[in-house]
Amino acid sequence: MTNTAPSTAGAQSAPGAGDFAARTQQIAKVYGRGDAQVVALDGVTVGIPRGRFTAIMGPSGSGKSTLMHCMAGLDSVDSGQVFIGGTELTRLKDKQLTRLRRDKIGFIFQAFNLVPTLTALENITLPMDIAGRRAEKEWLDEVIDTVGLRPRLKHRPTELSGGQQQRVACARALASRPEIIFADEPTGNLDSRSGAEVLGFLRDSVRRMGQTIVMVTHDPSAAAYADQVLFLSDGQIVDTMTGPTAERVLERMKGFDAGGHNTRPAGAPESGVSAR
Amino acid sequence: MMGKVTLRNLAAHKIRLVLTAVAVILGVAFVAGTLIFTDSMNKQFDELFSRIGTNVAVDVRAKQVVGADDDGSAAQPVPAAVLKALRGVDGVKDPKGNVSGYAAVVGKDGKIVGTAQNGPPQIGVNWTTGGSYDLSAGRAPQGPGEVLVDAKTAEKGKLAVGDTTRVITAGQPARMRIVGLVDTGNLMGATLTAFDTATAQKLMLKPGYFTDIEMGSTGVSQAELRDRVAKVLPQNMEAVTGEKLREESKSDIATMMSFFRTFLLAFALISIFVGSFIIFNTFSMLVAQRTRELALLRAIGAARGQVTRAVIGEAVAVGVVGSTLGLAAGAGLASMLQTQMGDAGQGGLTFTATPVIWSYAVGIVVTVVSAYFPARRAAKIPPVAAMRDDVALPQRSLRIRVALGSLLTLAGAGLIGAGLAGNGGNPAVPVGAGAFAVFIGIAMLAPVISVPVMKVLGAPFARLMGSPGRLARQNALRNPRRTAATAAALMIGLALITTVNVLGATMRASIDEQVDAQFGADYLVQADGAGGIGAGVSEKVKATPGVSAASPTYEGEARIEGKNASFMSGDVPAIAKAAKLKITSGGTAIGGAGIMVDEDTAKHNGWKVGSAVPVQFTDGRSERLTVTGVYTKSDLIGNRIISQAAYQRHTVNPSMDAIVVDASAPGAATKTALESALKDYPNVKVSDQASLKEDARKQVDGFVTFLTILLVMSVIIAAVGVINTLALSVIERTREIGLLRAIGISRRQLRRMVRLESIMIALFGAVLGMGIGVAFGAALQNALADKGLGVLAVPYGTLLVYLVVAAVIGVLAALWPAWRAGRMDVLKAISTE
Repeated sequence: MTNTAPSTAGAQSAPGAGDFAARTQQIAKVYGRGDAQVVALDGVTVGIPRGRFTAIMGPSGSGKSTLMHCMAGLDSVDSGQVFIGGTELTRLKDKQLTRLRRDKIGFIFQAFNLVPTLTALENITLPMDIAGRRAEKEWLDEVIDTVGLRPRLKHRPTELSGGQQQRVACARALASRPEIIFADEPTGNLDSRSGAEVLGFLRDSVRRMGQTIVMVTHDPSAAAYADQVLFLSDGQIVDTMTGPTAERVLERMKGFDAGGHNTRPAGAPESGVSAR
Repeated sequence: MMGKVTLRNLAAHKIRLVLTAVAVILGVAFVAGTLIFTDSMNKQFDELFSRIGTNVAVDVRAKQVVGADDDGSAAQPVPAAVLKALRGVDGVKDPKGNVSGYAAVVGKDGKIVGTAQNGPPQIGVNWTTGGSYDLSAGRAPQGPGEVLVDAKTAEKGKLAVGDTTRVITAGQPARMRIVGLVDTGNLMGATLTAFDTATAQKLMLKPGYFTDIEMGSTGVSQAELRDRVAKVLPQNMEAVTGEKLREESKSDIATMMSFFRTFLLAFALISIFVGSFIIFNTFSMLVAQRTRELALLRAIGAARGQVTRAVIGEAVAVGVVGSTLGLAAGAGLASMLQTQMGDAGQGGLTFTATPVIWSYAVGIVVTVVSAYFPARRAAKIPPVAAMRDDVALPQRSLRIRVALGSLLTLAGAGLIGAGLAGNGGNPAVPVGAGAFAVFIGIAMLAPVISVPVMKVLGAPFARLMGSPGRLARQNALRNPRRTAATAAALMIGLALITTVNVLGATMRASIDEQVDAQFGADYLVQADGAGGIGAGVSEKVKATPGVSAASPTYEGEARIEGKNASFMSGDVPAIAKAAKLKITSGGTAIGGAGIMVDEDTAKHNGWKVGSAVPVQFTDGRSERLTVTGVYTKSDLIGNRIISQAAYQRHTVNPSMDAIVVDASAPGAATKTALESALKDYPNVKVSDQASLKEDARKQVDGFVTFLTILLVMSVIIAAVGVINTLALSVIERTREIGLLRAIGISRRQLRRMVRLESIMIALFGAVLGMGIGVAFGAALQNALADKGLGVLAVPYGTLLVYLVVAAVIGVLAALWPAWRAGRMDVLKAISTE
């Protein structure tokens, strides 16, 4: 993978306290009613620093997917505010929200990332097609070469392996140069080698291109690719970790498994991430 | 753009869309076929009439006092004196008296050439030189023994110039020699015979009278000549320009054709309505199956409108393809119809822009409208659905559906009731609209109804067929909306077919009852086809051994209380006896200026015995008749009887409608004697009670069959819908089918499962449809009870047959989907997303 082009706007600038690509303010989300009521998010305030690779971790049902859906404007919050850059999502109507997703956000899902009837290339340029824009040729070429899909561009998703499909999804997310990319368990359906490829690629795009990426995962070794990890439990941010390694993350996760919810280990929140 | 997504989806789901397109094709074919066919017929008629009367500047005829009568029997003839007067008018060139009426020739096989009930007419005319047609062989007829026939008729009757044949008219039957052939071009099945003027008058009219007088102009304009001619005419005659005359004959045909066109289009509309259910259902299923894909599009930034447009775009494509193929199929259909018409349909097809425009308009609009709601639902898929494994589209509560469906059903039933009860206006519109509302209403209620009905219908399958039966029942119940929409399409066709059959059975039963209760004579002698009963028939009947009494009856038109009214006339005591009339006041002594009316008419007009009733006859003159008797309603007689003397005073050429015959010893021998006495009159038929019923039954059966055939198209479309639903369900349940196969269900069992589901859907639709059909039939019978439909009859045997047919449709519709399900590769099926 080569990346000779200079990185673009916003890249490499150290994330200052106010320089968040996305942030939330006391957001809460409750599913169901009565006995079936589940508090998915319980007043979460968090900021995602620009130009960094952030992982969100937590046990099943901790609310990590909900947090991501809400931050990405896919789901609504019951209370609180969500910002992408300087725009408050929680005030937007569906039409504006759709436009924002189209122009400023990229997505990588766990499965069913691609439109089955379109070729790999058509899938990559789909967000631009929808917007009625032409893809920037140079940038597109760079992205395609980076993910190593050049010989596969004319193939339909069913003719690609799982790892290749996921790389197409990554390319699609990157191609429109969004402000932030949300990845939901991007390696959940992949074998470890393909998973490592995709994760390495995501990390590279942060380091070299200055892309901002948020990834939800439950896999400690996936989280280890990130610059920092947010730990979520019972709908609240309970911890953060910078420069994670698989071992440290696994260790921290064990704390949740032991049943001690919200047992915050000693140590103040680390810099760059506000989690209160 | 999203256009790419639309196109790719079309390409990816070819078979599903082809099946949807079939619904469009069939509906559009019906519309296009009707339009092309009627256009072609119109063109032929135009050509036919363009040859007639081209050199007529002005035509003189009797004023129509009483409403237009198509067979011309009510039209008054023009006395020859008028012709003389016209010769003196300046500008008139070659005035010619025309005589026309019924005249048929008997072919070599002893049968009348071209006879058919309500078919093209057998026309007789007087031959004049310089008329509309030329001779193709022989010479003009002279004297009472000579006749001309048109070339086509001669060919059909295997007759040639020089042959002698019988000619049937309103006068005495005559043997005549064919002295020439007329070149008429295509008469569309009608036959033409021509006599010299005196013979024509004697046979078809009355000596010294003409049907009308036509004339050329020496150079004066038609309007000018008309005004000059009008000045010399008696008060009850009128002059019209040749242009107007041709317009009138054209507009008569145009009215008839437009009625025919509307009639066929109504059935085409039903097919399209059924098709719209199929389209709606298919698009709903396609959207449901693509939920995740559509959610993905929404997540990465497609606006709701874009998603809606992408689905609508597919609908437009299906509409365009369906319309194009439908148009082609319609041309084929029109050509087939023409072949069916025999002689009347040999002019080839005429193509105008109308069928093309309508085909595309109907095909595309119906597809897009039907797909609109599924497309809207597609746009409502939340983007977050792209990330969930099991997503269901948000379903609107069934409660709203039930409320709306009930409301629509009730409103529809109300409309039907109001339409049937309403006086005046065209009841077809409210009744039709009401029926549509009921269909949509019941279709909306169907998901709720389906649950208990399917449980009952499925119970025997579940018990007899083991797990395939149980699975089939559960599958049919799994998505009640889908099952219901599929069944509803079938329901519509079967409901209408049932209605027609119930009405048919009701008519038969009612006629049987009427004949039993109201036919008191032993025999009835009637004309078979147009032309009435010829002179001399009455005498022959009277002279037949075994006949004790024979009295002719007449039917006429008059204007009473400002309205056209038909009446009966003849020997009143004999009629009263023959029709088993119950006289409630007065008696049958009608005298020379009497009128008898039934109770309803008497009550409605406030008449009683002794009341004076002004009646204007077809000759334009009025007379005050006295009510001499009131009788209870009679379907055979109608509302009024007028004294024979009064009728004949105002009618130049009375046309006999029937002869009521009493026999001293009724039985087969007398009937045979009557038939042989009348063998010179092939257009006259002898009926007894049994054959009257039989004739009526045949007529009703013909009518029921014709309407059923027209409705079969909608059933075929519904069957395509069942195939479509099953095929899509099988695709949707791929994983589940794989699982069933993996745990050991056999291909046969799997196919049986699909087949049983299909049968259940079909039976559900049939049961619903028949229920509605019986209700519709009962409502119509109720509304028409005093118009001759006194007895409601439900043809249970026929309905049972249709139920079996529905089950067979279910089996056939399942063939392909079941085969597909059985063929599925187990491993692939399980690993499918």
